[in-house]
Amino acid sequence: MHKTRRKVRLGEAAGYILTLLIALTVIVPILWLLVSSFKTDVGVIKFPPRFFPEEWTLHQYLYVGDSIPVFEMTKNTVIFAGGVTVISLLFDSMAGYAFARMHFKGSKLLFSIILLTMMVPFQIIMTPLYIEVYKFNLLDTYLGLILPRATSAFGIYMMSSFFAGLPKSLEESGRIDGMSEFRIFRSIMLPLCKPALVSLGIYHFMNNWNDLLYPLMLTSSQSKRTLSAGLAVLVGNKVIKYGPTLAAAMISLTPLLLLYIFCQKYFIEGIAASGMKE
Amino acid sequence: MVKSIRKRKKYTAHNQKSAYLFIAPSMVILSVFVFIPLIASFVISITDMNIFMKDVHFTGIQNFIRLFSDDRVINATFNSLYFTLLEVPLQVGLALLLTVSLAKNNRYCKLLRSVYYLPFVCSMTAIGIVWSMLLDPNMGLFAYWLKSVGVETVSFLKDPQLAMPTVIAVTAWKGFGYTLTLLAAAVLNISQSLYEAAQMDGAGSFQKFIHITVPGIWPTISFCIVTTTIGAMQMFDQAYVMTQGGPLNKTETVVQYIYDRGFQTAPYDLGYASAISVYLFVIVAVMTFVLRKVILNRGEDADA
Repeated sequence: MHKTRRKVRLGEAAGYILTLLIALTVIVPILWLLVSSFKTDVGVIKFPPRFFPEEWTLHQYLYVGDSIPVFEMTKNTVIFAGGVTVISLLFDSMAGYAFARMHFKGSKLLFSIILLTMMVPFQIIMTPLYIEVYKFNLLDTYLGLILPRATSAFGIYMMSSFFAGLPKSLEESGRIDGMSEFRIFRSIMLPLCKPALVSLGIYHFMNNWNDLLYPLMLTSSQSKRTLSAGLAVLVGNKVIKYGPTLAAAMISLTPLLLLYIFCQKYFIEGIAASGMKE
Repeated sequence: MVKSIRKRKKYTAHNQKSAYLFIAPSMVILSVFVFIPLIASFVISITDMNIFMKDVHFTGIQNFIRLFSDDRVINATFNSLYFTLLEVPLQVGLALLLTVSLAKNNRYCKLLRSVYYLPFVCSMTAIGIVWSMLLDPNMGLFAYWLKSVGVETVSFLKDPQLAMPTVIAVTAWKGFGYTLTLLAAAVLNISQSLYEAAQMDGAGSFQKFIHITVPGIWPTISFCIVTTTIGAMQMFDQAYVMTQGGPLNKTETVVQYIYDRGFQTAPYDLGYASAISVYLFVIVAVMTFVLRKVILNRGEDADA
């Protein structure tokens, strides 16, 4: 008895040490990026390297625009990720609502086709998608970036499972009052699914904010590049200095990190929902 | 009575019409940007279309013949498989191991789980930049730390032998917190009475883990294995940011080669790029099918 208890305690101690060590390896690189973005040009490439800056400065943030069009890239990313999120939340929830709460011919067939498209990987459609966007004359435009992502099979599926779980009698009161179907959706049903909308919104926002291959392929000029695509190209070309790169990388992370710190619950719920996807 | 039936009929017809209006935007977008490209991809793969889209001819299976004798396709396939076979067990295995300590609902476990999730929120671009700098042999902080404890450092991302393992480690570092969150949620759903019964039978922690936890969350584990594998076979971002496929194409993956053929290198051979996409699609489909067969069978064995 005594022995096993000691064994358990030892195991627990080992668990704490291991988990804390791993936590360090997770935090240190991100923290290094944060503090290093406040180093001077000399501090960044100093040898031997130091973790913390010897002299804290805002220099990298003030002059990052001289070598990296970070303002423009941020604007593009906000328009792209924000636009996709807002439009796709509307379309996803409209379609999800119809599939969950309305009876119409072909609904089952259409819904299973939509579920099937969840399994289509991006790389198989990417070349034809590029040709389409090119033929529509939408390459290198915001519309061309947003439109193909303006709805998603996963979002429709997630919203429809949420709507299906709401009590049956909800629409009836609206119908008795003679409301139009869209008004019932807009003013009775939609407000009830705020948590699902926030989770799905965060899911869309994060995926599009961080996406690389898709915006890389559909934009050709520097002026429409998103943060993640634009930075990847600049770093690949090895034309920019370390200091501004650090500041720009930090700028690209900040919105999502803040969102994560304040809305953590919804990040986890979103992935719990995507875990149900199968 | 008759009147109310007629009224209902009229209402249903009206309801049908508005239902179609509700799904119309999504259906149009999915048709144009998913269904049509999906079919088109197969068609383009048997043509010699390039980015200028003039004088397009059907070439039958020529692109596929070319593909199987293209050294870079074979190299990229090897790299993608190498990456997948090491990255998936590393990410899922580490997450599974951590559920032993962290699948509890106390404050410490919750805090650590949300810390581990942090890299998953970050873009691969930023993460790739950070790790490339930290591992830089001349001025990188981690390279310096390793050197000062006596580890002979080389250029992790520029060494042909070490580049891929480094990319694998960074990928697992970025993703294990996500897998852990899924697995921990499943572990917390296992009935506590099972563990109590095992305790009374004198089972140790390791036995409880093998005989209760793993079978209890097997569906979630297999979901993680399958989705991580599919993602790993489509790896692009990591190599694009950290190594650009180098050194000596040692980290060039299939998706990277597709991108390179179709969009980066003249003559922007879209037909050939599509053929490689179809080839990868088939590989991933077969792998998914086999994995699910094997994993689901094992799950049933574990239940028995």
